[in-house]
Amino acid sequence: MNLAEWVRNPFFSIALTLAAYAPAIALHRRWRWIPPIVAACLPIVAVLLLFHEPYAAYNEGGSYITWMLGPATVALAVPMYRHGVALRPSLPKLALIVLAGSVVGMVTAGGTAWLLGAPLPVVMSTVPKSVTTPIAIEVCRELKGIPQITIALVILAGVLGASFGPPLLRLAGVRDDRAIGAAIGTASHGVGTASLVRHSELQASVSSWAMAAAGVFTSLLAALLALFLR
Amino acid sequence: MDYLLGFSILLAFQLLGALIHRVGVPIPGGVLGLMLFYLAMSAGLVKIKWVERTANLLLRHMVLLFVPLTVGLMEMGPVLSKQAVAITASLLVSLTAVMLTTGLLGQWLLPTTATELAVEQKDPAIEAGEVAP
Repeated sequence: MNLAEWVRNPFFSIALTLAAYAPAIALHRRWRWIPPIVAACLPIVAVLLLFHEPYAAYNEGGSYITWMLGPATVALAVPMYRHGVALRPSLPKLALIVLAGSVVGMVTAGGTAWLLGAPLPVVMSTVPKSVTTPIAIEVCRELKGIPQITIALVILAGVLGASFGPPLLRLAGVRDDRAIGAAIGTASHGVGTASLVRHSELQASVSSWAMAAAGVFTSLLAALLALFLR
Repeated sequence: MDYLLGFSILLAFQLLGALIHRVGVPIPGGVLGLMLFYLAMSAGLVKIKWVERTANLLLRHMVLLFVPLTVGLMEMGPVLSKQAVAITASLLVSLTAVMLTTGLLGQWLLPTTATELAVEQKDPAIEAGEVAP
């Protein structure tokens, strides 16, 4: 049995992914600045390059793991519901604000890429960049974009927004905890939300709701966009 | 509650969403599943405690679920380097725009609402700082 057959075996890909993920999480716990996604992917890429295996060979098993993003998307309803109950009095206004943020995010992302001459699939890959990864991937597919570009942008939007979002908002005079939470959740999804916990429970809760709501709104708006493009 | 029950419920909504997507609704099946699941919880058809553990497990380890797709970046080198300027500019412009629009609108609209109920429940996943991107 040669090596290619081994890598192509779904169980090998799944085992390799798990074997890379566990130490990545441990590294992230020890050194918070290491993004677990990067730490998990690098060893896998190294193994594939070392054995001259194409991505397609690895992804035969990898796609089983990707498939689990479906139930994970559905699971986002749980934090959304839980925080929604606590935030009930301001939900209508919050929804409006998150909707406005989502529209601005999609238009400015796609618009900037388009103005700079990027081809249509690349433009479409930038459109869902503010929302949580599983939803962003689905929206990207609906719009015929390139999921890998979307993932890279989503992760960067999370990391950059978590570090530079709060100072930017302070500079703009945004002081209300709910406003800060809504902005971070809409722009920087789960990574931003996680970074708020240390500052304020209310900020994190609003952010958590806003992240799920932004995902839903962006999907609905992308469906409209897809109709126009047809 | 058992993980298996929670997973079955999530899968059922995912399947329902995929079915609705299949008959022509242009919204991703997972998002349709999310919306239906939210409605089912609001209507009291599904109790949050049936799914909570499974949902937290999936959300906590969501990073694992997009490792295989991200590994695909290894073959995206040519596209990425050719479009690097457009992609980077798009990210920075849009990130700033979303942040300011949402934050300023919130600052303007929200303080007029009645005083918020104190948010007392803590989300274990967020608490641990383990929420995936």
